[in-house]
Amino acid sequence: MDGDTTVLRKVLITGGSGFVGSAIARAFAEHPACAITVVDLTPPGPTHVVPEQASFIKADITVQDEICRAVCQVEPEVLIHTAGFIPPLSERFGRKLQALVWKVNVQGTKNVLEAAKRAGVQALIYTSSCCVITDDLGIPHPNIDEQWPVSPSSLIYGESKAAAEASVLKASADTLVTCALRPSVLCGPGDHQLVPAIHACIAKFETPFVIGDGFNLWDVTYVTNVADAHVLAAENLLSSKTAAGEVFFIQNNEPVPFRDFCLAIWAHFGHYPPIELHIPQTLAYIAGFLSECFTWLRGTTTLSRGSARDACSVRYASGEKAKRILGYEARVGFDDAVRLSCEDYARRLGIELPAQKTKY
Amino acid sequence: MGLATNAIYYTFHPSQLRAIIQWKVWHNPVHERNEKDDTETQKACFHFLDRTSRSFSAVIKELHPELLLPVCLFYLVLRGLDTIEDDTSIPLETKEPLLRNFKDFLEQDGWNFTGNRPEEKDRELLVQFHNVVAEFKNTKPAYREIIKDITDKMGNGMADYCRKAALEDASVKTIEEYDLYCHYVAGLVGEGLTRLFVEAEFGNPALLKRPRLHKSMGLFLQKTNIIRDIKEDEDDGRRFWPKEIWSKHVDNFEDLFKLENREAALNCSSEMVLNALEHMDECIFYLAGLREQSVFNFCCIPQTMAIATLELCFRNPAIFERNVKITKGEACQLMFESTQNLRVACDTFRTYARRIHKKNSPKDPNFLKISIVCGKIEKFIEVIFPSQNAADAQRRVEGQNPAKDEARAKEDAESRKEIMFMMALMVVIMVVIVAVMLGVAWAMGARFDLAWKELRNGNLRPPKQFAERDAAMAGQVLHQEL
Repeated sequence: MDGDTTVLRKVLITGGSGFVGSAIARAFAEHPACAITVVDLTPPGPTHVVPEQASFIKADITVQDEICRAVCQVEPEVLIHTAGFIPPLSERFGRKLQALVWKVNVQGTKNVLEAAKRAGVQALIYTSSCCVITDDLGIPHPNIDEQWPVSPSSLIYGESKAAAEASVLKASADTLVTCALRPSVLCGPGDHQLVPAIHACIAKFETPFVIGDGFNLWDVTYVTNVADAHVLAAENLLSSKTAAGEVFFIQNNEPVPFRDFCLAIWAHFGHYPPIELHIPQTLAYIAGFLSECFTWLRGTTTLSRGSARDACSVRYASGEKAKRILGYEARVGFDDAVRLSCEDYARRLGIELPAQKTKY
Repeated sequence: MGLATNAIYYTFHPSQLRAIIQWKVWHNPVHERNEKDDTETQKACFHFLDRTSRSFSAVIKELHPELLLPVCLFYLVLRGLDTIEDDTSIPLETKEPLLRNFKDFLEQDGWNFTGNRPEEKDRELLVQFHNVVAEFKNTKPAYREIIKDITDKMGNGMADYCRKAALEDASVKTIEEYDLYCHYVAGLVGEGLTRLFVEAEFGNPALLKRPRLHKSMGLFLQKTNIIRDIKEDEDDGRRFWPKEIWSKHVDNFEDLFKLENREAALNCSSEMVLNALEHMDECIFYLAGLREQSVFNFCCIPQTMAIATLELCFRNPAIFERNVKITKGEACQLMFESTQNLRVACDTFRTYARRIHKKNSPKDPNFLKISIVCGKIEKFIEVIFPSQNAADAQRRVEGQNPAKDEARAKEDAESRKEIMFMMALMVVIMVVIVAVMLGVAWAMGARFDLAWKELRNGNLRPPKQFAERDAAMAGQVLHQEL
């Protein structure tokens, strides 16, 4: 990274106590002169460590006055807006949480934008999501790029992120330049969603089932790579401004079949599916429906109609634009990313991973 | 394989037999060689080409006439170099100057070399090398320059290697050394051929601006051979697998061949396959830069054969016991698919990448890396031949799909027309059949006039008394005979 050319002085990160926000705070800490402020509902904890020099302000982005006060107090030159609400997997495909998701993701983003304008922030970077495109589960998304249209109806999360992203890009002006980054699904230290859910399949005896043909490629990104992209975007918006008003897909650019990603995680935990049972997509969809009925009575499984479609969807993006304009390339390769994620999760679980088989 | 085993094999693999027949019957070379006008020296050159390599000579001989002879000579020159290098009976002090000066011999009238040991397979080529020299003289100066330059580089590379082998340890230690070795024996060939293609305007000049691409073409082929020939090379006392890779899996190289280390050996071989597959996307990129069909075929056939061979070797314990080979049927199928266009070739690459992927085991320490490299190939093919585009998606999102609707309407109309045509055809066939049947009946004496009359009287079935009479007559006949 060309951290020498642009001097970053003061950055504020909403959602800075979270998984992505804290990683971004750590990435900005590589600029020693940069003052970092974390804004969140809860102070940073032990799972999502932020650098020592970062200061913390408690504020709720859904309350206009609170967030305005916080931003005006700091007067940062760069504001990174990562705070958002991701519905848990069980509610991902439903509409029950729509009001809450919109309140946090869409209204919250508008509040942050307003606060940034009032505080004289120069650059705002919004952490969007590839879900603005890929939550439309009806079609495959191979090698999509930034010219792809946003789907008006997908899932509540994708819809809300799309609306928020649009308002951020529209606000880009000479006084306040903005851009949006669309990371793919993330893994890394402190991840509560992805690796834990895949690991949980072992205990539930769900690992032998392969839904679809098992060849559908997915992008998964290591969290520090996404954090790097935010720093690069901040540097760009303060210097050449070629990223102003633009969106970028950010990922490791090493898509693998979703099945392989799961197998690799299970292998790190010493589990190898004893057999493989291939389930056609339609059957999985029906099974997902039955499982949903069952879940309603009994408890949780991983399978639902939505997750069946999720598991066999194709979703990977082109990294060309981010490379060309931001100069972004993944610093941590995907193989290491999966290993580090598993090691971190094993630590959190308090278990020891089986040793690697080759001698290095 | 004997005839019987062949017959049994192809009974159970009819698609392979079909591929062989199709290739033999339907394949027409893009450029047919006219052998009648060949001079004596040309004939000799093609004779040696046939003798040194059957697989290469077939593809070379179908090349565009412009490049046919230059590529043939290029191949023979390199084969000559190789024959000197391979011959362990030649002492270093003789061998080194021979290799380093080989480029100058190309222009010495009547030059030949008789110092090879008799068991050297291509000894005769060097004994009669004056044929090559004579033809080389008649080649266009631009081509001559390229061939000379590559001969120079390769000769010196080989000389360095022989020197190192004689004076110190020349075993391949690091992956970097492995790549360098492959570059000398195959990467340089890729460079020379690319320069010939571009010079003849059969290749995009941009190919020369990205030397990584043609380097990958050569390295992919060479690395595949090195993986496949592991057993044969070991038996001949040659080792090309780099220590940097095998030492992760076994303590001594020879342990790879021990039965108790099978799992480690397989993991080692899959790391070798992974290393080779890293070149695949650049090979596809290279093929996209070729502009002439025969040149495309010439470059594409070895590449598809290589990925099929890699697939065969991947997680196959047999490579440590014997030389494995793709079947003739598969080879014909591959040749057929490699002589169409890039799209068809890409489908082949993807098919084999997926087969490799399917054999990949999570117990392999390089499981995810192999998966990543297969994903890279698939993504690259999607980049050159996108299955969807943003404009279509835009229309779909907007809910209007004029292009598709129109296409569908057209398709519907066409299929309706087809159905009408089929029905008309059926009617015609029926009429013809009925006419034939009636005609036959008439010729054999049927009385349609009587039948018609009966039908008009409403007698749709033969009258009962006829049936009784027939039975009675049959009884009489029976009686008389008795």
